[in-house]
Amino acid sequence: MDFAFTEDEERFREELRAFLAQELPAWWRGMFVDDARVFPETRRICEQLAARGWLTMAWPREWGGQGASVWQQAVLREEMWAHDEPRGPQYMNLNYIGPCIMRFGSEAQKRRFLPPMAAGHVLWTQGFSEPGAGSDLASLTTRAADRGDHFVVNGQKTWNSYADAPADWCFLLVRTDPSARRHEGLSVLLVDMRSPGITVRPVGSMAGPHELSEIFFDDVIVPRDCLLGTANRGWDVVTTGLTFERVGIARYARAGYVIEQLVAHVKAVGLVDDPSTRAQLADLRVRYEAARLLSYRAISLQARGEVPSVEASIARLHNTQLEQLVGHVGLEILGLTGQLTHDAREAPLEGLAWRQWVRNIPTTITAGTTEVQKNIIARRGLGLPRPD
Amino acid sequence: MDLTLNPEQEMLVRSARAFLTRVCPLAHVRDMETDARGFDPTLWQEMARLGWSTMALPSDSGGGGLSFLDVALLSEEMGRVLLPSPFLATTVLALPLVLALGTDTQRQKWLPAMGTGELIATLALVEPGWRDEWGTVAVEVDGGRLSGTKHFVPIAPQADLMLVAVRTQGLGPSLVAVERGAPGVECTRLATLDGSPLYAVRFAETPVEAVGLPGAAEAALARVRQHAAVASLAYIVGAAEHALEMTLEYARTRVQFGRPIGSFQAVAHRCVDMRSDLDALRYLVYQAAWALGMGGDASLEVSAAKAYGNEALRRIFMHAHQVHGAIGFSTECDLQLFTRRAKTAELTWGSASMHRERVAQAMGL
Repeated sequence: MDFAFTEDEERFREELRAFLAQELPAWWRGMFVDDARVFPETRRICEQLAARGWLTMAWPREWGGQGASVWQQAVLREEMWAHDEPRGPQYMNLNYIGPCIMRFGSEAQKRRFLPPMAAGHVLWTQGFSEPGAGSDLASLTTRAADRGDHFVVNGQKTWNSYADAPADWCFLLVRTDPSARRHEGLSVLLVDMRSPGITVRPVGSMAGPHELSEIFFDDVIVPRDCLLGTANRGWDVVTTGLTFERVGIARYARAGYVIEQLVAHVKAVGLVDDPSTRAQLADLRVRYEAARLLSYRAISLQARGEVPSVEASIARLHNTQLEQLVGHVGLEILGLTGQLTHDAREAPLEGLAWRQWVRNIPTTITAGTTEVQKNIIARRGLGLPRPD
Repeated sequence: MDLTLNPEQEMLVRSARAFLTRVCPLAHVRDMETDARGFDPTLWQEMARLGWSTMALPSDSGGGGLSFLDVALLSEEMGRVLLPSPFLATTVLALPLVLALGTDTQRQKWLPAMGTGELIATLALVEPGWRDEWGTVAVEVDGGRLSGTKHFVPIAPQADLMLVAVRTQGLGPSLVAVERGAPGVECTRLATLDGSPLYAVRFAETPVEAVGLPGAAEAALARVRQHAAVASLAYIVGAAEHALEMTLEYARTRVQFGRPIGSFQAVAHRCVDMRSDLDALRYLVYQAAWALGMGGDASLEVSAAKAYGNEALRRIFMHAHQVHGAIGFSTECDLQLFTRRAKTAELTWGSASMHRERVAQAMGL
């Protein structure tokens, strides 16, 4: 066991921080703000990262990567997430859509989809949830009828982040065999969002615009060469992708950044001797250490070539609860001024604590609710019987 | 960064588990709770022969040259079977103090004998009225003779060497040694909630030998407290893992309402919370042990582990009891052996609030 990053990794972190200090505009507050500059800026940052070889550094060389270690990738994720994810929606490409295409895609699909991701040009959205299929994802009804050389898609997806950015492509889970058992009739299609018959309707979220949309599919034609993996085996693709995704977001790094800002604030406003504030901030730090180490355990398994399923779920439980608690405690420390959003000039920490709270309300819901994670851990990790 | 065990560590854990499972069934743990000594000295000899008593002593001093992380891993295995032994007293508390403060003569006299298991050592630190192990040392040595009372001294009557923290006028704490058979030493066993052999030791004009210069023990004692906090947490991580396994087995096999209770989400999620808390604690402990082994300031890592551990252990064991139902409260069920030791672990080496304050200081608050 070794609990330190290497000198190379630490140097890379310093380079990234210098890059962000130079490139990130002062107005940057993350994706969910009402500002037309946001998505062009995320593309520009991704292209800059790509030019330095950092965007897809952990991908294999043949797909535009550098074959960097999973730990260098972890350092990149930490710095990005700590700074409100300046890669924008493209973090999903790098974390799991790209890796899923590498794992399940044909050679032609890899040649077609991976280079634009590596160049930082392309925005993807994910089409999983439906109005009737949330935690029970396998009950989804969006239908893709097999017409030989193409599929015809009809149905509705919902809670699609960045679909209105606008997204270029959709990683879409559909039902291709309605007669098969629920998990066995699903497939993943890679859908061009400019296809005729697609309608995107933005839905407001508590955190701001762009986080939620609905996508309607009305006789949308998807060529057969956009089927990812084997037809009717889409569930395997999605569960693998969700495992990548659970490790892929360095939530602890964001929490750690906000904790640091809160410590500085407490010192600046003379709260440093308040015993309960000291105890609350120390408690956050302890929970940060726990979440970080559990993430590192999952990454350590990846580094050994294993797919950490249960370990990723456990890390996610700690990370999501930490992010929420940091928001609550942060606002409590600010007291009355915690009411001010980042649109108020007087807002302490430029609304940081407010954003931390509001953006993390759905954190224990997205990509599998806490309860679904616990069910996975109970069965796969602890060998407890299924409810019948 | 790599949070997996290396091959040597895997080997250490595997061989320790095989040995300890063989020599320390829970029946032995029950026997030792009412045993006059509270541990089996011949078993300690066997452990010494495996190299465990001086495992972290540098190899040029005749030890195993292993890291403190390895000590924690071994401690975890001992906790898994609830082994009662002089390991904490001798290997974690006394040995590093002799190494840090002792003269060459003292080291040569005591360290090799610790290695063979012939010499059992302990530390007398706590004094009456202390709330935790960080109290102010008040017992004094006058003219080479020690008088006063120490509390919570592990295995005191069996110790061949008792190191005693004392005050020297105007200076910080010092360390002195009392050898077995010294006059004016009276040990009284304390009734403890986990049955561990702790003693009140009264000294009356007991002749002592200085270990280190007067007032020189402060830094070494501070370090040893951190080592002890982490080693005892590691022990209880092993114990909690065993308690979790018992709880899962019960949840899989206990049938109510016509099905195993582990199929109910309300029960299953308690088990998941145990797993999740215990995993977090385990890696916090490993990180603290690693940081201590690196030799630098490890106060954030150590106190983070202890602050988390004290509260996590409450949650873990209350879940274990809730899943077990009434049977878990009976003394026939083995769960109570684990629960009582977990509560002791919480009450020793600092409270959660004390360690949170230490974390706050380490954060620059």
